Amino acid sequence: MQDSKSGIKGSDQKLNVTTIPYVITGKDVIAWIANKMKTTVEGLAAQVFGNMLVAYGYIYPLQNHKKLVMCNDNTLYRFQTPYFWPTQKWVAEDSDYAIYLAKRNIRKKGMLEPYEQAHYNHLHKWLNHKWDFIVMQATEQYKAGKERKKPDRVVFDCQERAYWMINRPPRRTHSAMDCGPDRLIDPSVEEKITFDQYRRMNIFYQQAIMRSKVKSSVSLGALVKYVTTYKNHDAFLAPCLPSNPWQTDSDAYWNLNMRRVDVPTKMRVERWSFSLFELLTDLRGRDDFKIFLKKEFSGENLAFWEAAEELKWGTASSMKTKAETIFKTFLAPGAPRWINIDGRTMGLTVKGLEHPHRYVLEAAQTHVFLLMKKDTFFRYLKSPVYKDIQKKALNPEPHNFSPAQLEQNAQSRGPGIHPIILWQQEEEEKAKAAAASAPVDVKAMMSKIDRKK
Amino acid sequence: MGKEECKTMLDALNKVTACYRHLVIALGSTSDSQNLREELKRTRKKAQELAVANRTKLTSLLKDKTISKEDRAEYERLWVLFSSSMELLEVDMKRSLEIGQDFPLKVPTRHLIQTGMTGSTTTVAARAMSVQNMKYEADSNIDTADLRDLQSEITQVSHMMEEMEMKVQVAPWAVEAKQEAGAELKSNMSVGNSSVGVISICEEEPKEEDGGGNRDAGFASICAVLVFFVIVIVALVLGYLVINMS
Repeated sequence: MQDSKSGIKGSDQKLNVTTIPYVITGKDVIAWIANKMKTTVEGLAAQVFGNMLVAYGYIYPLQNHKKLVMCNDNTLYRFQTPYFWPTQKWVAEDSDYAIYLAKRNIRKKGMLEPYEQAHYNHLHKWLNHKWDFIVMQATEQYKAGKERKKPDRVVFDCQERAYWMINRPPRRTHSAMDCGPDRLIDPSVEEKITFDQYRRMNIFYQQAIMRSKVKSSVSLGALVKYVTTYKNHDAFLAPCLPSNPWQTDSDAYWNLNMRRVDVPTKMRVERWSFSLFELLTDLRGRDDFKIFLKKEFSGENLAFWEAAEELKWGTASSMKTKAETIFKTFLAPGAPRWINIDGRTMGLTVKGLEHPHRYVLEAAQTHVFLLMKKDTFFRYLKSPVYKDIQKKALNPEPHNFSPAQLEQNAQSRGPGIHPIILWQQEEEEKAKAAAASAPVDVKAMMSKIDRKK
Repeated sequence: MGKEECKTMLDALNKVTACYRHLVIALGSTSDSQNLREELKRTRKKAQELAVANRTKLTSLLKDKTISKEDRAEYERLWVLFSSSMELLEVDMKRSLEIGQDFPLKVPTRHLIQTGMTGSTTTVAARAMSVQNMKYEADSNIDTADLRDLQSEITQVSHMMEEMEMKVQVAPWAVEAKQEAGAELKSNMSVGNSSVGVISICEEEPKEEDGGGNRDAGFASICAVLVFFVIVIVALVLGYLVINMS
């Protein structure tokens, strides 16, 4: 991108305190761009183009050098020298950055900014074998720089600083050179599809045509309903209370929504009312549901559902024993926690249990799930247990961090709770729950009552 | 001794590399461009001579199998210094070739970037060449002729570096640096004097420079106030005595 503006653009020669000759104002740049692009709407396109110029580093701001935007007012900018342009795609090497930081260290007499100091320490550790060279080069470049006149020296400092602001941006500075990890596959390259792939594609599409389809009015209606229910719970669309941990580095949100928290948040409780599936997948909700069912003495459906889940997700070696316990506890006639499913499903399941596999209880589980959904779930939503927890639920205040606090948050990030500790807690709770809710053996109770009599 | 010679030569190479980088950064901008091209050419030639000299010296030293372990470690460190300098030089040469091709000087309307640098880089080049004044005697088509030379020189330098890698078996990552973090601060005692009193455009800088200035100004003002008070007290005492006597 050759700069042809210097002749065409009529920018004024501002004289600042030390007379540095060539600066341009933001609004002049935007006006010139709008003129050149012949856009009538001066605001948007020219502004965006100007921002891109600054974000890539072709023009750098003089006053607020950490904010890489083109402001449409009298803020001052200057053109960057071609050596520091990103056009030629030269890599900004770490050793160059180390030399720059060492020079800055000399100039600032040891007072680097915190992010610069962090980079410096990091580079000192990893480029240690070249460190002598870096120190020597830095001192030499500094001395050579002093040979130039004062205004040139200032301009050179500004240029270098702007270059490294683009290529090693501090937190919350958005430079256009920031890119994520490189892809292994180039998506714009045409890939050759072989004959066999075409054949398989044909078979797939023919089968897809023959499948029965849902009418788009129905499916779109379902999609709209889903979006309207969930739109406040999506962290991309609505602000996450108290604050999104990925943005503000404060893990209050995760702590408030842990597995075994005493008082859940309002959003979480609201989510449980959307469907039985949400209630059961959130383990805290499942606990609450269990409490309600205990009061109603109808916990066997949920217990069967959980046991079937365990069978589905458990190890292959434990399947036979699990299947037998499930049969004895839930399905056998006269079992202590007998579930009420229809005769056909019961017959199929019992037959399947002779040769148990992972999905042998699928039909029964679905039936039980539907029973719970149609009956128990709505009673739960109207019950005092649920209303109570709704009242108790927390509604945290949104955080309002200042930039200094954000910086501090970022620095005091630590690893969370170790997963092994969480797993141990889970095992303890499970053992306690198993001991507490052992199936009530009716016969033993009856015999006890008899003996008392 | 071989080591001292090596060190002085490496220092010289280092100096020339640093100056070369300053010159390349000024390329394509509004600083003095005809003379700049000539300065670049001369600095490059000097850098190459130094590089060749350094290389022969160091390879002969490292090939010697009869040296002690500490000596060998020291030579390896010097070798790493040399190869890093050469890498930097090669990169700068390639970049100057590209920029030189993009910004020709012999066209009717030069398109040079107005970066705000207007001074000449004569002093930097003089420092590189270790002379007092630079004399410019190149002819006017230096940019195109020079670029051809530059291309051949770049290939020469890359060949030299490949040869170096082949001949000398030195593991660069095994070298331990002698300087610790922050060593550059100690080597420059006279850093502070020249930057006090600079007021630059960049907004963060004035806070720092003014702070330094204010500290010095504070001391001066305290001294002035003390002297003033002393004079006032003396005047009062004299007045009192005069009144008493009369």
